[in-house]
Amino acid sequence: MREGTLEGGRTLTVVDESAVIARVRSGEPEAYAELVRAYTRVALRAAVACGAGADAEDVVQSAFFKAYRSLGSFREGSAFRPWLLRIVVNETRNTVRSAVRMRELAGREAMLLGAAEPLIPDTADPAAAAVAGERRGRLLAALDELGEEHRQVVIHRYLLELDESETAQALGWPRGTVKSRLNRALRKLERLLPDAPEGGEDHG
Amino acid sequence: MAERELPPVPGPGPGDALEDELRELGRRLPLPDVDGGTMAERVLARMIAESVPVPVAETVPVRRRVASWIRRRWRTLTVTLSGVLVVLVLTPPVRAAVADWFGFGGVQVRYDPSASPPPGAALPACREPVSAAEAGRRAGFVPRAPRALGEPDAVSVSAVPGGRSTVSLCWYGRAGSTVRLDVFPARLDLGFSKQVRIRPQWLELSGGRTALWFAEPHVLRFPLTGGAGQRWTESRRTAGPTLLWMSADGRTTLRLEGEADMARGREIAESMP
Repeated sequence: MREGTLEGGRTLTVVDESAVIARVRSGEPEAYAELVRAYTRVALRAAVACGAGADAEDVVQSAFFKAYRSLGSFREGSAFRPWLLRIVVNETRNTVRSAVRMRELAGREAMLLGAAEPLIPDTADPAAAAVAGERRGRLLAALDELGEEHRQVVIHRYLLELDESETAQALGWPRGTVKSRLNRALRKLERLLPDAPEGGEDHG
Repeated sequence: MAERELPPVPGPGPGDALEDELRELGRRLPLPDVDGGTMAERVLARMIAESVPVPVAETVPVRRRVASWIRRRWRTLTVTLSGVLVVLVLTPPVRAAVADWFGFGGVQVRYDPSASPPPGAALPACREPVSAAEAGRRAGFVPRAPRALGEPDAVSVSAVPGGRSTVSLCWYGRAGSTVRLDVFPARLDLGFSKQVRIRPQWLELSGGRTALWFAEPHVLRFPLTGGAGQRWTESRRTAGPTLLWMSADGRTTLRLEGEADMARGREIAESMP
């Protein structure tokens, strides 16, 4: 199931979200389940990307609960997903202490390199898969070397696949700032990383 | 905001490969194995367990803000006009889906394994009592008392959303105890009730009718309505043992609270004229 998709394959639009939120506010709290169902995956992705590790599930549950409690301050007609992700990222930050986080980051890389089940098999060739896995490990490591703002903008824009305006909303920055920080972050990542994967075997 | 297809990637150019790699990285993050349904269940369970009030929009135009202020004031004033129950939240030990709802007459029952009803207060009395004739005039049906209880000490009427009314009959015991019978128009929908695992006990009354016995304390939610039937808010309280059943003609739902003994509850229900 894709993020933002309900059972049956229907995706949630801003209009749908507004309708659900209106139902919740008018005394039908159960309607909130629709939003939780639709955005659980992307929220988990955000928590994991920000280093929640094994706590991701709890962090997301807690974020959904907090989002419900502050639903009164949600601006009608705006998108729910970036608003929610902002809460998820804050919750991750609050929950995960830095020392723990470092350990989790190490674990995360190990999982990516080894155990994680690829969504789509890269190739039948295990050697090529290993190379791709290694490359992702390096990418993660490079990401962790970025400053917090640069890391966040890359996570939101690419790892969570938000568009530019959603990224701006989630981070609470003007769009111009998103654009420029993203640019700088990408340049920096390129410098931190060895050659792009097209090079195949001769990377690193 | 829908999760669309991936953002279209313009033709290959410098930097695009890195962006693609980053998207790929996001999709391959190892996520915990929990689906949206399970998460929704947990979040709702916590909302109920912590009795979180329904969020009210904060940033509203001044006019609406004033209206909401008045409404909040009104709430305190209209508590006395309280109406009928809508939802019962039970506390069975089993894990059950949040979607485990069923209707019984005019009552919706919902399972919530994690709900912990706060300690119950005394069963509310029939406020602003009226005569039985007046109650009949206002509600559109004549409330009749079960023979086993005799004439009620008080009768009150409250408006229910949808322009209907609930008639409540109260009997007051010497020790300050109250037995209360709420009668409201509704039909029984057995087809719907079959969809859930049954925690409350099903009883069979004479004539093949069915009743539901809730032995455990549970959270009761009911709307508070204004004098003109406007629905203001929902309120909740912890209810004690309750018997629910339908009248013989199937036109009203009856809810008896304040009688802790199931056999006596059944006897009262059977003695309805």
